[in-house]
Amino acid sequence: MKSLLNLWVNGRPREDAVAENALLVDYLRDTLGLTGTKQGCDGGECGACTVLVDGEPRLACSTLAHSVAGRRVETVEGAGRDGMLSRLQRAFHEHLGAQCGFCTPGMIMAAEALLRRTPQPSRGEIRAALGGNLCRCTGYVKIIESVEAAARCEEVSA
Amino acid sequence: MNAPDRDLHRVGGALEAPRGVGVRMPLIDGVEKVNGSARYTADLPAQGALVGKILRSPYAHAELLEVDVRDALALPGVVGIVTGEHCDVRYGVIPIAQNEFPLARGRLRYVGEPVAAIAAIDEATANAALAAIRLKVRELPAYFEAADARKSDTVLLHDNKKGNLEREVHHEFGDSAAGFAAADLIREETFECAEIHHAMMEPNAALASWDAERGHLTLWSVTQVPYYVHTSLAQCMKLDPAYIRVIKPFVGGGFGHRVETLNFEIIVALLAREVRGTVRLLQTREEAFLTHRGRPQSHIRMKLGLTRDGRMTACEAEVVQRGGAYGGYGIVSILYAGALLNGLYDIPAVKYDGYRVYTNTPPCGAMRGHGTVNVRFAFESLLDTMAAELGLDAFAVRRRNLLSAPTETINGLKIMSYGLPECLDWVEQASGWRDRATRSGGDGPIKRGIGIACSHFVSGSAKPVHFTGQPHATIALRVDFDGAITILTGAADIGQGSSTVVTQVVAEVLGVEHRRLRVIAADSALTPKDNGSYSSRVTFMVGNAAADAARKLKALLVTAAAKRLQVPEAEVDWFGEAAAVVGDPTRQIPFHDIVEEALVDVGMLTVKGLFTCPVEFQGGKQRGGAVGSTMGFSYAAQAVEVSVDAELGKVTVEKVWSAIDCGFAINPMAVEGQVQGAIWMGMGQAMSEETVYENGRHKAASLLEYRVPTIVESPDIEVHIVESIDPNGPFGAKEASEGPLSGVMSAIAAAIEDAVGTRIRELPFTPDRVFDAIHRQPRAGASAPAAEQGAA
Amino acid sequence: MSALPDFRLLRPASARDAILLRGAHPASRFIAGGTDLLPNMRRGLVDAEVLIELAGITELRELQDQGDALRIGAGVTLATLAADATVRERLPVLAQAALAVAGPTHRHAATLGGNLCLDTRCQYYNQSEDWRRGNSYCLKRVGDTCRVAPKSKRCYAAFSGDVAPALLALDAEAEILGPGGVRRLPLAELYRDDGMAALALGADELLLAVTVPLASNRFSGYEKLRVRGAIDFPLAGVAVALARDGDVIASLRIACTGVSSRPELVAGLDALVGHPLDDAALATIERGVRRAIQPMETTTVSVPYRRRATPVLAKRLVRRLWDEGG
Repeated sequence: MKSLLNLWVNGRPREDAVAENALLVDYLRDTLGLTGTKQGCDGGECGACTVLVDGEPRLACSTLAHSVAGRRVETVEGAGRDGMLSRLQRAFHEHLGAQCGFCTPGMIMAAEALLRRTPQPSRGEIRAALGGNLCRCTGYVKIIESVEAAARCEEVSA
Repeated sequence: MNAPDRDLHRVGGALEAPRGVGVRMPLIDGVEKVNGSARYTADLPAQGALVGKILRSPYAHAELLEVDVRDALALPGVVGIVTGEHCDVRYGVIPIAQNEFPLARGRLRYVGEPVAAIAAIDEATANAALAAIRLKVRELPAYFEAADARKSDTVLLHDNKKGNLEREVHHEFGDSAAGFAAADLIREETFECAEIHHAMMEPNAALASWDAERGHLTLWSVTQVPYYVHTSLAQCMKLDPAYIRVIKPFVGGGFGHRVETLNFEIIVALLAREVRGTVRLLQTREEAFLTHRGRPQSHIRMKLGLTRDGRMTACEAEVVQRGGAYGGYGIVSILYAGALLNGLYDIPAVKYDGYRVYTNTPPCGAMRGHGTVNVRFAFESLLDTMAAELGLDAFAVRRRNLLSAPTETINGLKIMSYGLPECLDWVEQASGWRDRATRSGGDGPIKRGIGIACSHFVSGSAKPVHFTGQPHATIALRVDFDGAITILTGAADIGQGSSTVVTQVVAEVLGVEHRRLRVIAADSALTPKDNGSYSSRVTFMVGNAAADAARKLKALLVTAAAKRLQVPEAEVDWFGEAAAVVGDPTRQIPFHDIVEEALVDVGMLTVKGLFTCPVEFQGGKQRGGAVGSTMGFSYAAQAVEVSVDAELGKVTVEKVWSAIDCGFAINPMAVEGQVQGAIWMGMGQAMSEETVYENGRHKAASLLEYRVPTIVESPDIEVHIVESIDPNGPFGAKEASEGPLSGVMSAIAAAIEDAVGTRIRELPFTPDRVFDAIHRQPRAGASAPAAEQGAA
Repeated sequence: MSALPDFRLLRPASARDAILLRGAHPASRFIAGGTDLLPNMRRGLVDAEVLIELAGITELRELQDQGDALRIGAGVTLATLAADATVRERLPVLAQAALAVAGPTHRHAATLGGNLCLDTRCQYYNQSEDWRRGNSYCLKRVGDTCRVAPKSKRCYAAFSGDVAPALLALDAEAEILGPGGVRRLPLAELYRDDGMAALALGADELLLAVTVPLASNRFSGYEKLRVRGAIDFPLAGVAVALARDGDVIASLRIACTGVSSRPELVAGLDALVGHPLDDAALATIERGVRRAIQPMETTTVSVPYRRRATPVLAKRLVRRLWDEGG
């Protein structure tokens, strides 16, 4: 059964008829075409679908779309400004924090939440904040370096 | 980090950062990955596509008597169903060992084997239809362990394979009996390695579109080797390959899972043809575990002879691999396991017996470090144990057995460059090996230890899997009126950065800006065939082809510049983005003028670069000599420091130092990334990863139970690049992403032994295994080594 | 790809409305953070025609410092709980346990109530529908045999929440709202040793809050055994709350998770009150823990290991807290 869902996605208001059993990840990908948010597992095990809801990281695969009614959802597509990459996106690009790129959107959104809360995180804090985001390519070393590089960057993307 | 930083060739006021080879360049397709615009297969627009779903066998072994789809087909919203009746052609990656149907026919051989597939208007309908299909079977005895499958009275999985042996290998190079006779110390140990899986982050997905009017098929899939997929589709669908187009979108990793054509790629195409439309087949994570093709469970008996001063005299290895239900890459896996005993150290004699066994489990295949990883674990582990017995240092015993390039191994493998000595030197120094006594052990329950190991891997198999007589790599460059240079390559970038490497090579040769270059990759309608992203062949082979193409294009452009400048070609000074008369920079013309001149009369320029491994690199003539042949081996050494909670059996990898001889680092940052990824993946195999079957049913088919390490317990990995400048690699480059993996398990095992005094020979080192090993009662007489067997 | 079964989503504004809805819709379930329920629903482990969402109920999200006790609403997220100053300073075991749950992103959604009411877990149960059908299901759902103990009449699925043992060690009280009003009970009484029905909650009852005494001079901590540093459920978890009176134990409570179908409060520790933490006391603790736990083959990690490692965790933690209190 569908009902009307009002929320903000990447700064824009949306009003869509959405099934009550729709997951946030499916709403973003299938209804809005925001395919940057990935599904890497069968539910809650890999972090690839991480988005921000009112600035906090959430697993879009374990969240009902209607549960975020009235709230502000941010995906990796909304992270940049004026067509340019956000500081985290740029850092992941320039420091090879992304290899195959499949975990990257979730990783960047989880890191974004971290930097908003803790602008200069220690390595331990970075590890703790990204603990639920699996990557199979990088061994995480360059992901940590990417987050550190973004933290050094003065531009504030939020 | 510490990779070489070089001055960039800056030509004609480049407005961009690094280009050419030897520089830390971000991935050429990296922006799309970080801003969310990269389209992976599941992200492709698929309006109107039907939902595809696969019905999988719940039986481990059974005769398939009937697949009754009538009720399912009658459900509203079900558009089409395919079963084994829709394809009677076997496929498989090894031309001589094709024994798999995309959908089972007559026999079910593992839990998860595809039996039927449905195209429906939505997922709920597809699920309902799956539940409505009825299977009639007669169950057969099933075998889940290699030893059980090999027993004399077993039912054969494949009728022509006695003893359920897919392949038996018996090779001997040198005189192993004489070698052991010359040894002062001989030891033999057995090693058990659990089966592991690739767990690439992107689940499997494919999109197929059948153009019923024209009889054309287009397939988008997650493949590492679009060319195999293309030929398999033609074969299984009995379709002229000219009517097929295969496109590889962005792919979220592979690690070998996708080097074979996978059943779902054919199934989705059969479905699309059946329904005369477009079908999208998105799969669960669990289905990737069932499709599998990972590293087989291996039982290894390793025997080594050493002289008193640590010189290797002979090696004898027996390897039994539980291969799963179908051939796949199995023959290569079992051959590589033996062949790659060679090429790392100077061993005068190697005897190898390999057994690849069919079992009722998902088929195994190629996985990063194909064939060599588990054997290297056993070899390096045994070498450590024996060195300790002889009172030799772990570095010293390895240095005692180094090769010297150029050389040829006893099995005919050519080694043209060999940077292992420098790798060892750096690792020894960086890890503080000589001071380790001050760090090892500890008073409380937490003990520290350090261990090392070496490893190597091929830079592409010198003999391609499919013999066609064609070049091993082909690449095309296209230049038209716009002055853009388009690189057309069939090489599949799956995140390893092949498109970036190719671009850097072209930029280096031509001296042009990256902005002028674009890459079109892996679309069979546009790009030349490539043998695919496997065996670390792309940098070496496609890199060489790219350099060849760029040199040819440059020659055309220099000719055009000479014509426009009205000087002989020898007097053209080539700046990349411009050309001038030698000695007179004022007589300069920009790139566009050169292109304009070059297009006169001939129009668009298309040049082709080729590479083929010369026959002398394709292995010796002796039996087994061609296996493992390559033009260049990468070499790696690593040190690992661990802490072990001796009371709980919990091991933490604290730090890794890894040195890689990759010949030349075309992109040092990418090399570091590959090495770190390889080391870490080896750590996953060492620490926590294993598939678990019960009666053939995979109990850990999720990212919760199949424990890929998280960032929390993943260590810092320091990488040092050694450049041995291989004479045949592009700019001297070799592979960098598989070699470092193989040494990790034994380095960790050595570190654990250093910490708590127990050598573990069973992978992975999960807390329960480590706990058992620490608390195991010493075997009777184990403290006093068995009588030395050296006959000398 | 991830289709959930069809259901209606109701979003009551008060706890009272929530239980009324629960009563009115027999085939309904409460959903809070969804991190346990939704993956389970995707695997076909839960039937529900109606989900009653608790996230909009403000009263469930309150944290009240009552001076001598802390009342924590069931809807407080684990991230909030772990970051709360009072929790961190006065109830470190609770902060540590909350931080040990899953991954950081889960904890922004997952709630206290959800973790306390976590469905029990088993390697034969937490599998896809296809997997379980192929294995002829199990006692916990659809089937008639417990795959872990085929001869037994009961289900041995393991309670795997991290927070419950912390609250048991802290002697917390649960507050439950039912049609007849609020009832309070010691948290231990919320649980039953039955993998199929580990919660002693009525169908139309809702866990409102827990109240934790803020005792002084108490030292507490949580240790979790798992293979990875994040994501994993506990192979075993041990929570300890210890008070020390000079050289003797003033009080000691130990609770375990992951090693039986309910969080287990270790019995027989009162005998240690007034005694120093010597080898004999540690031996008593070891015996008590061994008696309290009953690890079964609910995970792929070996049972003997979990049985032997759990007391080690407990003793080590007690020793550390003893030293902290010294």
